Amino acid sequence: MRPLDPRLISRIGPARRYVIITASLGALTATLVVAQALVIARVLAPVLSPRPLETDGLGWWGAIVPLSARDLGTAAVTLLLIVGARAFVTWVQERQAHRAGTRVISELRTQVVEHATQLGHRWSVSGAASDTTTLATRGLDNLMPYFVRYLPQLMLAATVTPLMLVIVLGLDWVSAAIVAGTLPLVPIFMVLVGLLTREKSEAHLIAMQRLSSRTLDLIVGIPTLRGFGREQGPGARVRELGDAHRRATMGSLRIAFLSGLVLELLTTLSVAIVAVTMGFRLIDGNVGIETALAVLVLAPEVYLPLRNVGTHFHASTDGLAAADAAFDFLATSSTEPPESGVAPRLEGATLTLTSVSVVAGAGTRLAPADLTVAALPGVVTVLRGANGGGKSTAIAALAGLVVPTSGTVTATCADMTTVVLAGRGGSVERLEWSRQCAWVPQRVDLGPPGRLLSLGQRHRIALDRAFASGRPVLLLDEPTAHLDHASRTQVIARIRAAALAGATVVVATHEDELIAAADRVIVVSAQEGSP
Amino acid sequence: MTALRRALADTGIRPWPVIRAVAAGTLALGASVGLAAVAAWLIARAAQMPSPADVALAAVFVRFFGITRGAARYLERLASHDVALRGVVTLRERTYDRLAHSGGRTVLALRRGDISARAGQDLDDIGDAVVRAIIPVGVAITVSAAAVAIVMSQLPLAGAALAAALVGALVAPALFTARASRISGKELVAANARVSAAVLTSIEFASEHRVWDDSAAAERDLAEANLEAEAAQERAARPAALAASSHTLFAGLGFVAALVLAVAAATRGDISGPAAAVVALTPLAAFEAASAIPAAVAQYFRSSAAAARVSDIVGPSQAQRVRHTQTTAAVASLPTLEVMNARAAWPGNSPTPPVNATLPAGTCLAVVGASGVGKTTLLLTMAGVLEPADGSITLDGRPVSADDLGATISITLEDAHLFGTSILENLRVARGSVTEDEAWAALDAVGISAWVRTLERGLHTEIGAGGDTVSGGERRRLLLARALVSTAPIVLLDEPGEHLDDLGIAALGAFVDALRAERRSVVLVTHDDAVKEFADAVVSLDG
Repeated sequence: MRPLDPRLISRIGPARRYVIITASLGALTATLVVAQALVIARVLAPVLSPRPLETDGLGWWGAIVPLSARDLGTAAVTLLLIVGARAFVTWVQERQAHRAGTRVISELRTQVVEHATQLGHRWSVSGAASDTTTLATRGLDNLMPYFVRYLPQLMLAATVTPLMLVIVLGLDWVSAAIVAGTLPLVPIFMVLVGLLTREKSEAHLIAMQRLSSRTLDLIVGIPTLRGFGREQGPGARVRELGDAHRRATMGSLRIAFLSGLVLELLTTLSVAIVAVTMGFRLIDGNVGIETALAVLVLAPEVYLPLRNVGTHFHASTDGLAAADAAFDFLATSSTEPPESGVAPRLEGATLTLTSVSVVAGAGTRLAPADLTVAALPGVVTVLRGANGGGKSTAIAALAGLVVPTSGTVTATCADMTTVVLAGRGGSVERLEWSRQCAWVPQRVDLGPPGRLLSLGQRHRIALDRAFASGRPVLLLDEPTAHLDHASRTQVIARIRAAALAGATVVVATHEDELIAAADRVIVVSAQEGSP
Repeated sequence: MTALRRALADTGIRPWPVIRAVAAGTLALGASVGLAAVAAWLIARAAQMPSPADVALAAVFVRFFGITRGAARYLERLASHDVALRGVVTLRERTYDRLAHSGGRTVLALRRGDISARAGQDLDDIGDAVVRAIIPVGVAITVSAAAVAIVMSQLPLAGAALAAALVGALVAPALFTARASRISGKELVAANARVSAAVLTSIEFASEHRVWDDSAAAERDLAEANLEAEAAQERAARPAALAASSHTLFAGLGFVAALVLAVAAATRGDISGPAAAVVALTPLAAFEAASAIPAAVAQYFRSSAAAARVSDIVGPSQAQRVRHTQTTAAVASLPTLEVMNARAAWPGNSPTPPVNATLPAGTCLAVVGASGVGKTTLLLTMAGVLEPADGSITLDGRPVSADDLGATISITLEDAHLFGTSILENLRVARGSVTEDEAWAALDAVGISAWVRTLERGLHTEIGAGGDTVSGGERRRLLLARALVSTAPIVLLDEPGEHLDDLGIAALGAFVDALRAERRSVVLVTHDDAVKEFADAVVSLDG
């Protein structure tokens, strides 16, 4: 996984702006840190030097911080200004980070949802849809720590660290050489540790996940155990599994923290080496106190961003993984066939499914399998059959929501012309087709206002909407499932009335009363094995 | 916040391991402070050009601190995680026991997703309070105190200034973060919930929105939810930014004050050069520990919210349930359950219509009604889990109680759990002593043995979490087989809300026949009229 996904920069506007702003703020911070270190060296050197300072110890950088900073008053004012500026930059950075994070998350979420609604009915009732919902909500929320914590440090590592190295080089090449020599060791050792421990940490991770899911499985089953009065035993088992999980976790942490150990060790030890070397060179008179102080203060700042990148790396991985998954998802294309041709008017039309099969599940079943049914106008056609037989899919195929894997959907219109709506030989504008169908699925939403209602209430309103819509095709999936006896009778009467008024009516149901009210009953069944 | 305190007390974490972790953390961050102090002294002393032997010891200390930091930090992280993990294991076990021993009313009403979230992520979050809040705060305090002591030993006034700045750097970010956490705890959680609902419906009901031309409304709803979430995030971000910025400010002020005092004192000749260097440069490293405060405070709020949620389902101090063995023992082997004018209701909700029914041994009672009328509530009341809102439900003349679950009554709810273990062990959930022959007989009775025989490992096939997936129909029949192998003479069964197909009806009929043959009785909750065919009596809750 790359620390900065190029797709994030190229496709999400706020992310691009934020990266630029953060990089600029990083450069500004670096400048302030350098100025602060140089002022410290300026003001502290005269009191530490046994004899008056004759030369300018800051070399090339003396131009940035003039000799006047050796005066305590000037230095104090300058330092206070720097401190104020650093506090302000921190504030701006944090504000920008949060703002950019929320905007990027919103934008990515909107894109994901928009794309998801284009993938068709079969996709939206599959398991992939619920995974995408999780991705678009909790998954993308994980980008927040990435933007607020990790990315700024990454930008600082890219700006502050090289700038500091250049400054140190201008002050004292020996120290710069030490820093330049140890700096590459950090990524090298991190990668080495990562490679050496990868296999072991993966094994630990699998063990941890297994143990954790077993523990939860046991706890989740409490109501079931309680129902049989058998809840007493598993407490000890929860403890055993928990202890095993703890041992596995500690095993993995002992390895995972090794990279942190290497990082801290290298960065701190390097600073110590720079300080000690500088001390002995001072004694030899090879270097001045002003130079030594500036290097001493700057040395830890070179490594600080690297250390912070390491610290925040784990907080960023979930968010990066989510962004990665989101971009991959956005790259998937719809499997729906292209549309060619205008949808006919369906008033008084006969809708016919001819040998229609639709692949279900993992591609090993056909539901429905080889279904042929002609739904005539003014007639109530009922589809019945076992659960999972493909009744709902057949209804959705009639509504232009599911394109059959094989077979055709045709319409014989009032003027006796026959049009292939979907399947071999034709594919009409599906939205136009769908909007002539009063389709009521088993679970309905009714849009945002419907969310305050119970499922049963929503279903009743959806039926009212369908009956009142005046659409020529009425497609109802289990319309009486959630109703009591009185409302059931009422719904059946309205279905009959709609047919009498000339609508083409197709109903999927199990209910005997509804089946008894049908003009034609067709059994829908599934078949194992792919086509 | 008391919920967190109680939860932490429940982890059984002793002070000593926490102190050990804080000590290791202090050593780690203290090493940075020590390195800064000794290196400052070393440079300043070296500037006076003494013999190298004079600074040799300081050089050793600088290198020592350079190594200590990494090593001590490693030990601290291991120690703190170990403490927290042990605490969470204990907490999880106690939570399990509490749930198991609480009145059935709490437990049986819990949804699977809730238990899993509470016992999973929430308990882990409580443990994180130790690793990410308590220990870092402890370390911040000890390291800050150590830095103040070093500076104060050289120049008391500078020590006092540093102490004041450190208090500011500890307190101000904590207060700002607390404010940000409070805002995100309330507004952001609500806004995110709205976003989730908008995303879920936009995706799940995309087809309906297309057909009925509601897509634009759904899009608008998501856009509004997004804006609301952004606004809430923005309100929380303001104090969060101040927290970060105030840390930088106090750290800067503390260090400038110490530097100015040190230079002034050295210029006057009050302190030596090396002492001035120590006073001036130690503060540069002293504020690192305090920078952990915002994260610690945020974690404290997260953990508190988790503890409150856990305490909501587990109950803060639920009295341990005492099994009334005397009363349960008094039940005959063929008991009669009698429902007299009973109305069932969850506290605060409107009750069902009054129900009258008698369930002698070997009979089947069907409870029908539209969804939402309280069929499951009535079933829980028959199990003695809920008190009847009115009327009475008796078992051989005495009120039924939740203690009858097990020996006399078994209840299988709609979302009953299939454990992540073998089919046989899943049947043994009802009775530990089920033999393989008994298991086959039960599977046979509900018409699922043929399917089990096709599985490679037969009865020993792992199902549920981590095992083979079972279809809805298979699951339902496994649950019937499980109810069959229990020894409870009264079986209560809550059927799923969907319609049963012909196979499902047949399995249910066979199940009732099998129970009848053993002179056991059964109450079926359903909204499928087909079950009326094999019930001896039907109670309808439709008004």
